[in-house]
Amino acid sequence: MKVVFWEQEFTVNMFVGCVGGFLIAVMSSMFGFGGGPFMVPLMTVALRLPMYLVVGSSLLAIFFNTSISSLRHYQFGNFDLLFFLAMFPAALLGGYIGPQIAKRVSPTVVKRVACTGLVILAIKLLGFF
Amino acid sequence: MLLGERETPDGVECNKGQEKNNMKMRRVFLPWLFAVIAVVFSINVAGATETDAPGMVTPTSVNAAGVAETDLTDMVPPTITIDQTELNNGGIIKVTGKAPAGQPVFLEVWAEGRSVRASRFDKDVDKETGKRPYIFYITKEMPAYYKIFVPTELQSKIDEEQKQGGKWSVSRLLKDLGADAAYNVPAKAQIDRHQSTLMASIIGSRGALLPVMDAKENKKRSMQLVKTRFRSLDKVFGADIDVKPDGTYSAEIKIRKGLAPGEYKIMTVVGKETKSQAVTFENKISFPTMYLANAGTSMNLIYPFFLTLAVAIFGVLMGAGGGFILNPLLVTLFPVLPHTVVAGTVTPTVLFSQGSGIFNYSKINFISWKLGCGIGVSMILGALIGPKLTEMITLDQFKFAFGWILLVLAALMFWQTTPGYLAKNKKEQAILKEFKRRAEESSKGKN
Repeated sequence: MKVVFWEQEFTVNMFVGCVGGFLIAVMSSMFGFGGGPFMVPLMTVALRLPMYLVVGSSLLAIFFNTSISSLRHYQFGNFDLLFFLAMFPAALLGGYIGPQIAKRVSPTVVKRVACTGLVILAIKLLGFF
Repeated sequence: MLLGERETPDGVECNKGQEKNNMKMRRVFLPWLFAVIAVVFSINVAGATETDAPGMVTPTSVNAAGVAETDLTDMVPPTITIDQTELNNGGIIKVTGKAPAGQPVFLEVWAEGRSVRASRFDKDVDKETGKRPYIFYITKEMPAYYKIFVPTELQSKIDEEQKQGGKWSVSRLLKDLGADAAYNVPAKAQIDRHQSTLMASIIGSRGALLPVMDAKENKKRSMQLVKTRFRSLDKVFGADIDVKPDGTYSAEIKIRKGLAPGEYKIMTVVGKETKSQAVTFENKISFPTMYLANAGTSMNLIYPFFLTLAVAIFGVLMGAGGGFILNPLLVTLFPVLPHTVVAGTVTPTVLFSQGSGIFNYSKINFISWKLGCGIGVSMILGALIGPKLTEMITLDQFKFAFGWILLVLAALMFWQTTPGYLAKNKKEQAILKEFKRRAEESSKGKN
């Protein structure tokens, strides 16, 4: 598939994109996260697209995923309104506070911290200790 | 990802042809999105009517068949008294009474008003036919709290079953304890069973509804659902009753924190026909602890608020949504929450930040609608299947799979902090900024 973006033409291997997108969608909707951290590497590395094309488009792709999986979770009765109301304002607030701190910290450091945290969490979930 | 990207547009030029093209794209895809949502809703409605109809033929006399022959007849029904009728988010209730001498005494305790969903996907090989049944059992009438208390002498039998680890079974333990007569309330829950197929899972139904089970089968299946709902053995069984030789008994029943509020009932059971009247007590909770109806537990909602706040801020700093951190944290920190509810409630939470991100990008025309929707369509298919799978797996499987996903994610993150990637990323980010500036200029020019 050919995609024109800001007067430049890109060839996208839609087979890889769709299969990858499908797998990411199954996984992320199953476990209830957005899927952005997987989608961006898929589009930049596997599809060889530049970052400036990926930032917006990957967001749009996972928006489809998140909205449909929200509906499905609601349909199966997995959605709890009160619990949602406790978390949603916090998420909004975080979205406002975050960018203001963002200028003062290096994303590389944040990613390293996240990396360590994720490994610890993973080990805990896998029950190694 | 990248929420809160809001920069003031400045500049002049506008690329008219490009603009028109993208607008057209948008018009083509919007109805598409609505069509898909409409389809999902119609499936939902169809599913609802499908499950409603057979509800008419619910078995009414669950406990009636074949009772009397096993039991000692004409025994005096046991008496029961409790020392308090009101608890504040859990506590201890002292139960005393008198039962016929020389008989084991059991207490059945359950939440009367509040019931929750319990479901189980049966994929174990059937011993008789050698095939996998792939039947999905679901009930909406599982009590939010259920526990059977047995005499302290029977502790060893419970310990023995505990050794089975994850393979413990409600029915086997009831038989070992001789407490079968005490198991009544969940046995009456109406259980629907669906024949699952791969195709049915994809289009969104639970599969064809199978005929209603007879009382005996219903009871057997309800025991499996009790296990999937309450998960650990000590939540369903406790050896706390002290029985004297003359038949008087006493027990201290501990009601945990974080349980459903409302009316609870206790009944003393000696045999199938020899039961006491059910006595009632009330469990009260007060704000900020609230009852989560779908999770079947009450919980102090302040904690998830601050947890989400912290994770959301961290997510912005990292440039990702944060749902993948929030989910495992919630599952590990609040074991009372079922994983299905965690997954189903976190998903819509990130929806808004994604939506606002898309809006901001679309204002400066920085989204390729063709690419996003192209991959989006395949993701819709995946999103239809995923939540179904959440429902089918157990908490342990959920944790196991999520653990590996997090390890992969950690590797991805680590790769993004390696010098090679950083150097490349610096260039990419510079180009990104340049293009964004141009985009903002042109959108400003349009206005």
